[in-house]
Amino acid sequence: MDPALLASRIEKHKTKDLVIISVGPEAIIKGSVDIGPTHEPENLEKLKNYLKDIPKNREIVIYCGCCPFVKCPNIRPAFALLMEMGFKNAKLLNLPKNIKTDWLDKDYPTND
Amino acid sequence: MINMKTGFTIIFLIVFSGFIAAQNKIEIGKKAPEIIMTKADGTSFSLSTLKGKLVLIDFWATWCAPCVEEQPQLKAMYETYSEQVKNNQFEILGVSLDKNKESWQKAIDRFNINWIQISDLKFWKSPVAKLYEVDELPFNVIIDVEGTILAKNLHGKELEEFIKKSLKQN
Repeated sequence: MDPALLASRIEKHKTKDLVIISVGPEAIIKGSVDIGPTHEPENLEKLKNYLKDIPKNREIVIYCGCCPFVKCPNIRPAFALLMEMGFKNAKLLNLPKNIKTDWLDKDYPTND
Repeated sequence: MINMKTGFTIIFLIVFSGFIAAQNKIEIGKKAPEIIMTKADGTSFSLSTLKGKLVLIDFWATWCAPCVEEQPQLKAMYETYSEQVKNNQFEILGVSLDKNKESWQKAIDRFNINWIQISDLKFWKSPVAKLYEVDELPFNVIIDVEGTILAKNLHGKELEEFIKKSLKQN
């Protein structure tokens, strides 16, 4: 998902059916849930527990933003878990560089 | 004769290029801005106290995988130049953009980091990240004995060679 689209949905309060999950260093994005870096097994377990009561057709957006995708150790295990658990509407937030450049510097809504 | 439109364009370009140049403070040849932050033991530390040494300022965080991968290389370098460290010629200053004190401390212990480590635990909101125009991690700046920037963002072999060369000149 494009960050501009997510930002505009948050600003328009159109996120009622959307679950935004941070699987990286900090839940910067407004309304997102802080799971912690999912390259750590305990955080991956935390994500599994968090997801278990969520309907499989719910729209889910995960993000990390620590670094460019190729170097990110968190996105892959988290997304693989979502697929494994059968989530049909899971998306990855497209932060090509990092959460700073692609979210904070654009003044998109944050949790504080 | 230059017409008015061209004249205005030229003036605009001159003013605009000056504006861009003024924006970049972290350039080779410029003075490194002061950094005052807290060490892991809670005491305050200032970059200016390292005047007289070649300093590698390493911006990193435990949540940044490539930064963590780089720590053993820094450790090896710190050991190689332990004599120069003892003789007040060389120092490494790790500036962490972590937000979690525990993760930071754990990494310091895990990699047995014995060079100076400081952080304000403010993640990307750290004023120092803005001051040093850090856009992504890892990032580093090398400064000379006067605090002038000699190089920025060198990694791997390039970093090793640069430190070696600079210490020889001292």
